[in-house]
This record gives sequence, C-alpha cells and structure tokens, in this order.
Amino acid sequence: MDDWGTLLAEANSGDSRAYAAFLRTITPVLRGIVRAKAGGLGEAICEDVLQEVLLAVHLKRHTWQVGAPVRPWLYAIARYKVVDAFRARGGKVEVPIEDFDEILAAEAGPDPTEAADMARMIGLLDDRSGRLVRMIGIEGASAAEAGQALDMTEGAVRVALHRAFKTLAALRERHLQ
Amino acid sequence: MKTDDLISALAADSRTEPPLKAFLWPALALALAVAVLAVWVALGFRDDLLASLGDPFSVMRFVLTAALGGLGVRLALVLARPEGRSLARLWPVAVPVAAALGLLVLAYGSTPAEGRQMALVGKTMTTCLVTIPLLSVLPVAAILAGLRRGATTSPALAGFAAGLGGSGLAAMAYALHCTEDSPLFYVTWYGLAIGGVTLAATLIGARVLRW
Repeated sequence: MDDWGTLLAEANSGDSRAYAAFLRTITPVLRGIVRAKAGGLGEAICEDVLQEVLLAVHLKRHTWQVGAPVRPWLYAIARYKVVDAFRARGGKVEVPIEDFDEILAAEAGPDPTEAADMARMIGLLDDRSGRLVRMIGIEGASAAEAGQALDMTEGAVRVALHRAFKTLAALRERHLQ
Repeated sequence: MKTDDLISALAADSRTEPPLKAFLWPALALALAVAVLAVWVALGFRDDLLASLGDPFSVMRFVLTAALGGLGVRLALVLARPEGRSLARLWPVAVPVAAALGLLVLAYGSTPAEGRQMALVGKTMTTCLVTIPLLSVLPVAAILAGLRRGATTSPALAGFAAGLGGSGLAAMAYALHCTEDSPLFYVTWYGLAIGGVTLAATLIGARVLRW
C-alpha cells in the first residue's frame, strides 16, 4: 500500500489528522486535473469544481477498499464529478482517465482563489448547520469549541456536521440540474 | 470559501458511512425471503418439487436463474465502486444466456413438431409474466438502495446489474411454484420477464444512481 493508501486507511478509521493530511495531499493533484480540463473557464470556477470533487471524495470515502490502489479510485470520482460540473456550467469536456497521469506532472499553480459556490450553498443550510461549518472551517474551531458556542454536545456537533455535508452535496446536485 | 477552510471542515467530520455490503446482504436476504414466502403463501410450491429435481430440464430453471441473479449481484457490487466501471466484466453474463439459448435449441429439436406450440405457450404464461416482475420489485429495490450507498460512475449499467440480479433471484423463487419444465416455455417467458425487469431497472438506475 502506498502513502496515499496508508493515509486514507487511517483517515477512514477515524484519524482526523491523517484525513486532513490526505486531503491536503490530493488537493493540488485534483486542482491540476480540474484546471487541465477547464478549457478556458476561469480560475474561480475551477476552484468551485475542485471543492465539489473534494466534497464528493469526502462523502464517498467509505467506498475505497483498504488495500486497493487509491489513484484509480480517486481519479474515477474526479472524472465523474468534473465532467458533471463542467457540463452543468455549459462547457463540454471529455475526461479520458488515462490522461490523468500526464496531468499530474502539470504545475498546479500556487494561489488558490476563493471559491464562491460552496459559500453560497452553505448559506442555504439551516442557520445552525451553516454556522457550524463556518466556525469549524473558517474560524478553525474544534468540534468541542463549536459545540460550546452553539450549545450542543460534541457528539451532536459531529452528527450535525456530517448531515450538513450530505445536505450540501444534495443542494449542489439540485442546483446544478 | 477557501479550499483550505473547506478541508479543515471536512477533516473535522470523522463520521463515515457504513460499508455498502453491511446494508446490501441483509436487505437482499430479506427481500429474497419475502419473495419465497410470497410464492409459498399465494401460489404454493409445486407438489412434485422434490421429484422434479430429478429432471435435468427442470433443475436448469434454478441453475440458470441463480446464475443470472448471482452474476447480476456480483456485477452490481463491482460497479458500486467508483473505479468499478473499468473493473467490471460483462461477458460472464453471456454464459448463462448462451446456455439458455442452447437449451432452447435442444428442446426445439427434441420436442415433436406437433407438441412445440403447446410446450411454448404452456398453461401459465400470463401468471409467469406477471408474477416474476412482481417478485422482482423488492430484490431489485434492495440492490438499487445498496448501490445508492456506493458511488457508481456508470448509473445505467449499475441499474442493469441490479435488474438482472434482482429479477434472476425472483425468477428462481417463482420456479419453486412453476411446473412448466420445457425450456421452450421457461427460456422464453422467464427470459422475457427477466429482460423486461432488467430494462426497466437500467432506466431507473440511470436516474436514481446519479450522485
């Protein structure tokens, strides 16, 4: 099993530090894939699509089988989501999966711009879920701190956070169609 | 929202969904049990069920439907994974289909010309064509629901697998009741019922398995 596999296996057994490291490792690679396939669509849109792919990876990470190679699994999700996202935005892209290995060497670009779509989607969540995602994501609060601020137990925070991401994916799906 | 902030939020969510098989096996077992029970209660098992197992033509009903059902479920399990599209192999499905067609030809040859029409139409064609799709509803739904917990990147093909798996198993349950042992009958009408359900499931899958 390679380093990605080790990280993802630890992540899936509940190690959030390994999970953060995994997401930070795959993000530049995914950004390179998205940009290479954007066909002239702007950088901000690329970052939107990238975040969409990350959300999909997050919600489907249980479909990776421990011991299976991570890359084919990850690229299959990326391909599916990238085609979907650009199609919904009016572009036509073909993403043959074999191309990905060449793209990986491509420079990902240093400065990720701020993406707009995810913030808009978070705004559509119910008040408490939206605050929760912002507090933990943007303000860097821990689950316990967020729970204190919102008068929730840590367990309730975890349940609400997970539900919030599922709702975000569902909102996005509806929004794109 | 910056991507790095999104990552921080995602990393804080340590809850993962349960593996697909944890849902699929119990759901499918339950669906199958209900189908067998429904056949038993509503139609009854054939009286000579045990004796019929001595007739190879009769046994082939179980063998062929079980093979289609098993291959369909296995295909669905592969396609439930994102990378399953490139791992899935369709040709094994052709094996029971070819065997069924071979059996059909064989039975055509061995049935006297004046008996073919009767063997083909049988006495229970309508029951067969209505019951197998009805019995398929729960097993197909169970597999589709399982696939929704996965992440298929080919929704229509995954729907096809769900339809084939569910209707194959349903036809196997129906065979406990059915007394039509001529391949001219069962290859034709079981095949038509399975094909119809599979087509419908393909269309449904293309819609409901997107994510």
